[in-house]
Amino acid sequence: MDNILDRIRDTFGSLWKHEQRADLLQVGVEQRHVLPLLTWLKEHTPYIQLTHLSAVDWIEDGEFQLSYLLTDPVGRRSLMVAARIPREEATADSVHTLWPHAVTSEQEINEMFGIHFPGSPRQGTPFILEGWDDIPPMRRDFDTVEYMDRHHPSRPGREHTDPRAYIGRVVGEKGFLHD
Amino acid sequence: MAKTNLPVLPPEGSRPHAPLGEGCFLGETERQQPLALREALATIKNWFRANSLWVMAYGTGCGAIELRPLTTARFDMERFGMAMRPTPRQSNVLIVSGYLATKSLKRVIRSYEQMPSPKWVVGLGSCTINGGMYWDSYNTINRLDLYLPVDTYIAGCMPRPEALIEGFKGLMDDIKAGRANGWNHYLENMDWYKDNQKRLITDWDLPDYNW
Repeated sequence: MDNILDRIRDTFGSLWKHEQRADLLQVGVEQRHVLPLLTWLKEHTPYIQLTHLSAVDWIEDGEFQLSYLLTDPVGRRSLMVAARIPREEATADSVHTLWPHAVTSEQEINEMFGIHFPGSPRQGTPFILEGWDDIPPMRRDFDTVEYMDRHHPSRPGREHTDPRAYIGRVVGEKGFLHD
Repeated sequence: MAKTNLPVLPPEGSRPHAPLGEGCFLGETERQQPLALREALATIKNWFRANSLWVMAYGTGCGAIELRPLTTARFDMERFGMAMRPTPRQSNVLIVSGYLATKSLKRVIRSYEQMPSPKWVVGLGSCTINGGMYWDSYNTINRLDLYLPVDTYIAGCMPRPEALIEGFKGLMDDIKAGRANGWNHYLENMDWYKDNQKRLITDWDLPDYNW
């Protein structure tokens, strides 16, 4: 099982691989290979448990990354499978047929990033937000400060100190940061 | 601030919790007494109220962690006649402890309105004052006093139990002096408060007032 990355490369043609730690491997594949790969991992390798399903917004590349973290509960090690999907009209395969609890993660990603998982139950149903009427808040083009100015007015007189400028000023005056 | 003319009326046959404009909240029979006696009665009542603050056991944010040592052996708020109560119907102090999510705000409003008057709101921590470290979070409010009448703010991130005791002592002094009238302010400026609340809570599905 130590050559799991090689086996994935030979079978599914992985795009990149990375050994973060001895017990944490990462591999990137094309989106169309995700469902077969995850099925194969669950059926034929010790990586049987889906621990995390999360999304990353690579707005510069115009892509979302979906990260599936699988765990081998006996061997105490993990394997992250990452796949990128286009940011426009983002759609990905649902994995709730493999792990039923993925429904919740997919519902949350649907709400927070606007990625659609066709066939997954509870898509479009509010998970955390109530009455949200803006673009999904975890997208990086969501301007949270501008949103706050519109919805949550600041108390007059509040001062904001930019940490970088403040530390630079302190260091400039004292020549060192701490007494 | 634009005012909406929403009629906020109690259900048929019931009365609001408190007569408007009455800082000391006397009963029907007491209000017919001579002025000196009314003042004496109000002073006595307010002394009792200040020394029997019943706090609703509800924590909205991380500041609630400082309420545990306050209730237990080391700081023991029972010394001041304060106790935790499980429901809003038995409480007269609402502590908004730390950051308040927009989603929680709806529940807090509902709980506050269900509390019997006289009642007081304590804003605990920087988050209730100006948003604190969550000032740019899309999900938390920045100013509690736009939505609920706050009687006492306790600054800090987060304030230690000593600061809380100090804040509650200030609240008790205000109550004894008849100054802590946020609950009347809420009733008198209901339109303004409801306007602010409904502007933030877009899927408003509460009654206009939770009697």
